[in-house]
Formats: sequence, structure tokens, C-alpha cells
Amino acid sequence: MLGRGVKRKWSCLADLEAEALPAEKQKNGEEGPGDEGGFHVAPSESDMSHLQQRQLVLGLCLEKLQHYQAGVELSLRRSVLLINTLRQIQEDMQSDGVETCTSETLLNDVNADSCLLRDDVREDMPVTCPGCSEGDGDDLPLSPPLSPEFPSQEANSSADQPRSLPPATISSFSDAVNAMGYLSDLALDDIFEDIDTSMYETSDLPSAWAAGSLWPISVSLWADEDVKMRPSSHASAGSLQSCLMDLNELDHIMEILVKS
Amino acid sequence: MAGVAGGNDFQWCFSQVKGAIDEDVAEADIISTVEFNYSGELLATGDKGGRVVIFQHEQESKNRPHLRGEYNVYSTFQSHEPEFDYLKSLEIEEKINKIRWLPQQNAAHFLLSTNDKTIKLWKISERDKRAEGYNLKDEDGRLRDPFRITSLRVCPITHIVDIKPANMEELTEVITAAECHPHQCNVFVYSSSKGTIRLCDMRAAALCDRHSKFFEEPEDPSSRSFFSEIISSISDVKFSHSGRYMMTRDYLSVKVWDLNMENRPVETYQVHEYLRSKLCSLYENDCIFDKFECCWNGSDSAIMTGSYNNFFRMFDRNTRRDITLEASRESSKPRATLKPRKVSTGGKRKKDEISVDSLDFNKKILHTAWHPKDNVIAVAATNNLYIFQDKIN
Repeated sequence: MLGRGVKRKWSCLADLEAEALPAEKQKNGEEGPGDEGGFHVAPSESDMSHLQQRQLVLGLCLEKLQHYQAGVELSLRRSVLLINTLRQIQEDMQSDGVETCTSETLLNDVNADSCLLRDDVREDMPVTCPGCSEGDGDDLPLSPPLSPEFPSQEANSSADQPRSLPPATISSFSDAVNAMGYLSDLALDDIFEDIDTSMYETSDLPSAWAAGSLWPISVSLWADEDVKMRPSSHASAGSLQSCLMDLNELDHIMEILVKS
Repeated sequence: MAGVAGGNDFQWCFSQVKGAIDEDVAEADIISTVEFNYSGELLATGDKGGRVVIFQHEQESKNRPHLRGEYNVYSTFQSHEPEFDYLKSLEIEEKINKIRWLPQQNAAHFLLSTNDKTIKLWKISERDKRAEGYNLKDEDGRLRDPFRITSLRVCPITHIVDIKPANMEELTEVITAAECHPHQCNVFVYSSSKGTIRLCDMRAAALCDRHSKFFEEPEDPSSRSFFSEIISSISDVKFSHSGRYMMTRDYLSVKVWDLNMENRPVETYQVHEYLRSKLCSLYENDCIFDKFECCWNGSDSAIMTGSYNNFFRMFDRNTRRDITLEASRESSKPRATLKPRKVSTGGKRKKDEISVDSLDFNKKILHTAWHPKDNVIAVAATNNLYIFQDKIN
């Protein structure tokens, strides 16, 4: 995304992911000196649909909140703004889930022009997408096709066998608290020490999120990139990811995996 | 070319630049605050390395009366050192966040400097009035420092406002800036990350949890985005010299508020509206979190704030004219007139314009200061301090 004035196209989500990667390397501190002589912004983002932007911002948000792991301290102001942005995205996703059709039927359309990517989805089809309403022979089976990378086995196993959160996640939570600065006086490591994943009912997690207890979590919605870029946090990705799978992120993740 | 803050004949020209020319900028040299004293005779800068540099204005020499006079180094000292809070495992930066001068009452100068944790009061006095020219060495033969800089007090901080919620998980808003009223010392304002400003009166209560006035502009629902809150976060608040107005800076605009009207600002100036369609990229590279400051001129008729690509903007409140100028080494010839800059937003880029995609977002002007009486401005561009003044015809 941070080219040097090079025009890029925003035609599909895959391009967005590709753009997001080089930007990581160019991140600086708040008033840091320039690297290689300055960075610039991409051409207009008006081509991006609301959903595309939401997806991108969500990923960036989580990335930034995890940045303390790389040794970059987050100011209190920035942490609060990022968490508020996450809350806003979550509310947006929740209200979105009410209006659009189920994730399975949306994902069945593997066409490049899938309804999820079209800007006109929300306006034209308040209730169902073309795949649902047309109901012709082009529809694929209802069960979503799972790609080999999809950690469904992990999701199933962690649901069946409750276990405590891995240490990496606990330390990342307490690190996040420390990064919040002087006003923070919570002992989150105590809270999270003995918690089983089975305690996270699917309905509870979104409400906890809305209440603001979404401290930086070591999980990425882009499974492949996460393995490459942050191997240290991937260990904790599995168990939490199983919880997130049940949320509205499911449709988005499936969409990415289907596209890749 | 018509200028700002002075009428049609007014033009800004280059006066001086301080700082290294190297392409490699040392992090410690990055200027983090700029402040003129009450008379404008002294100009102080603070940097990320915790140092304070004070420049003094030297009178025009009789030989060259057409020059306004230059600012030269008066004193330099290490104000703050990095600290490590072992309890919280946190490093406390030595970066100077703010310098404020005290009104001068005697021969000595007093200023306040602060980092994230400690506010220090400094007294700068000239040890020997006759130090200029002779007797600069003491008995041991070492060069005597003509100035004595004394750190006076490091006081425990008294909380006046505390908006911390009982449950930290409920924290959704933080204080971003604050300032005391220039005439009513019991009145102060503080701004928040949600774009609100609260005015408090310390006479009302020891803990000003309840505000006397609450300033907020209603949000335009059509421009709502995921970045709305971030760009509404106020990065600076400054009272006018008159005390009747205050100015706030958020990411894209500067707003002037009448203290008697809480529901909306009286004036809004767009600093770089062309960035509104780039917010996603600016969010990605963290530029959206940059904290720009703003300042008034001495008569409150004009305001100034910084932007990217080493551009800074001035707005004339009376004529409603605005100008974009650049702090660059290229246009740093003595008394060279600054050429107005323009960012092209449409498809066709005119000859001297620069396109948004070519702006350098590493070169940001966050800190500027305007002389309290004259048309002299100090602009901090990363590790360089530029001084511009009006052309004396």
C-alpha cells in the first residue's frame, strides 16, 4: 500500500492483502526519522468497498495492538483509539450480520464477482444475496468448502478438550496492560491464568469485546501471513482462533481462504 | 503576491536555519517543542534527547539596519534524562514534550520543561554581566560557563482532573492537551481524544471533575468512517492572546472557538482536506496518529499550523486568505522570499503543484511558534529549526 507514487488497483481483496504486507516493514515510531527517504500514500481509496475497508482496518488494528511484542511501546492515547476502532468495527459487523444472508451461502459463490465483494450488495440486497434468491443449479452445496489451511481440526479439538490458555497468550495480555502506561493497574495475568477456553461461549466473547476487554490478542485473521510473519505468536493462535471462528469473522476468513 | 497577516505587501522570507544538514537524522536531535518567551527575545527548543536549547535575539547591528536581527544560541542544557520505572517495567522517555516560559520579573529567566513524568522549573541567569569579551576563564584556566542554570524545584504533581474510570477496561477517552487561560489563572481547558474540550474553574472545586463548559461540534453523519474518532482527536489547544477565543487542532482541521459558544466552533480551517480520501493509508503507516500543534500570531489575527512534506499553513482570520509554505533547505537563501506551495487535488497537476501521492509523510511539521509581537516565526522540521520573518521593505 505504501508505494512511491505507483498507481495500484483496488480491484479485489487479494490485492489488499498484498499491499498490507510491505507496509509492515515501513512502520516507524511516532516521531521517528525517515527510512530510505520518505514514504507516500496510495492512490485514492474510494474504490474500496465498505466491507473491504472494514476487513483491512480490522487486521491493521489487531496488528498495531500486537506491536508491543516487537518492542514498540503503544501510548495510552493510541491504545484507546485503536480499541475504540475495534469496537466500532465489531458493532458494524454485528449490525451487518443481521442484514445480510448467512455466511455459508455467501461463501458458496466462488466467482470473482462474489456478492460480498460487490459494492452494491448492501443497497440492492438487504436480505439475501443473488446466490440465495436465485436458487438455480449454479449454487454449490451449502457446506462451505474448507481449504487445507483452515484449522477446523484445531477448532474441533479445542472445543472438545478444554485447556487453559497457552502462556504466550497470557504474557501477551499482561504485556498489553503494561504497554498501557501508568494508569493501568490491572493484574490480567492473574485473571487469565486458569481460564478454560470452554468458558468462552460464542455469545460471551462479542459482549466482552463490546465491553472493551479486548486486550491485544495473539491471533491474526490471515492465517497464512501470520505463520510467516509472527511465528512466536502463532502458538496461541489456535485456541483463540477457535473462539473467533464462531463469530462473524467466519465469513470473512472463509472468503480470504477461498480467494487464496 | 498577497500574503497573510499583514496585508497585500506582506511576504515571508527565510531568515535562519539551525541544525544539522545530514540526511541521517539522529533520533535525539528531533525537535519536540518550540516556544518564544513573552517578549520574543528568547526562543527555546526541546528535543527527543532531553536537551533544551535557548536562542537569543540579537539586535540589528548599526552596520546592517535592514536586517531584523538574528537568533543565536544563548544557552544549552540537558533538561531530562531517560528513566526506567522498574515497578512497571517501563522506560520513561527523556523527550521534552513542552516548554513554557514564565513572565520575566528580574534579570533571570525562568522556564518550565517537562517530559512524560516530570516537570522541571529552571532558572537561567547570567553569572557575570561582564562575561562578554573577557574574564571567561576561572582560576584553573577552564572556560567559565557564563550562565548558571539551576534546576529549582521538582514538585509532586497534584491532580486536578482525573477521568480514569474505576474499571480500566472502560477507558474510552483520554486527555490529549491542556492550557491555562492567559488572564484568568484559575481557568484552564483540556481536550480529549474524542474531540471534546472542557473548560474548568479551579475555584469551583479542588478536583475539577465537573466542567464549567463543554465544547463539542456535532458530528456530520455523512462523513462518518472507521477513522472518524481518530481524526477528531484533538492534538493541541491554545487560547488566543486576548483570552476570548481558543483554537483546537485535530488531524485535518483547525477550529477557533468562542468561549461563550459551546455547541460549535466559530471558524473552521481545513489544513489538508486532500488527505481525507487517504485515511486508510495514513492509518496503516501510523501518520493518522501524528499530533500537530497550532499557534496564534500576536494580534490573534492569524493562525499557523504544520502539515506534511515540510509544509506549514497560515490562515488570516480577517481576510480568510490562507497560504502554504515550505521549510526546506532549497529555499534557504538569506532573505529569500518564500514561494507559496500548492497541493494538486484534481486530475491535472499544474506546473508548480505537487500531487498528494508525492508528498513525503516522513517530513512533518508538528511544532511551530509565532513571535508574540513581530512577524517572526519558528518552524521545527524534524531536526532543523527554521526562522522566517517578514520582508522589511
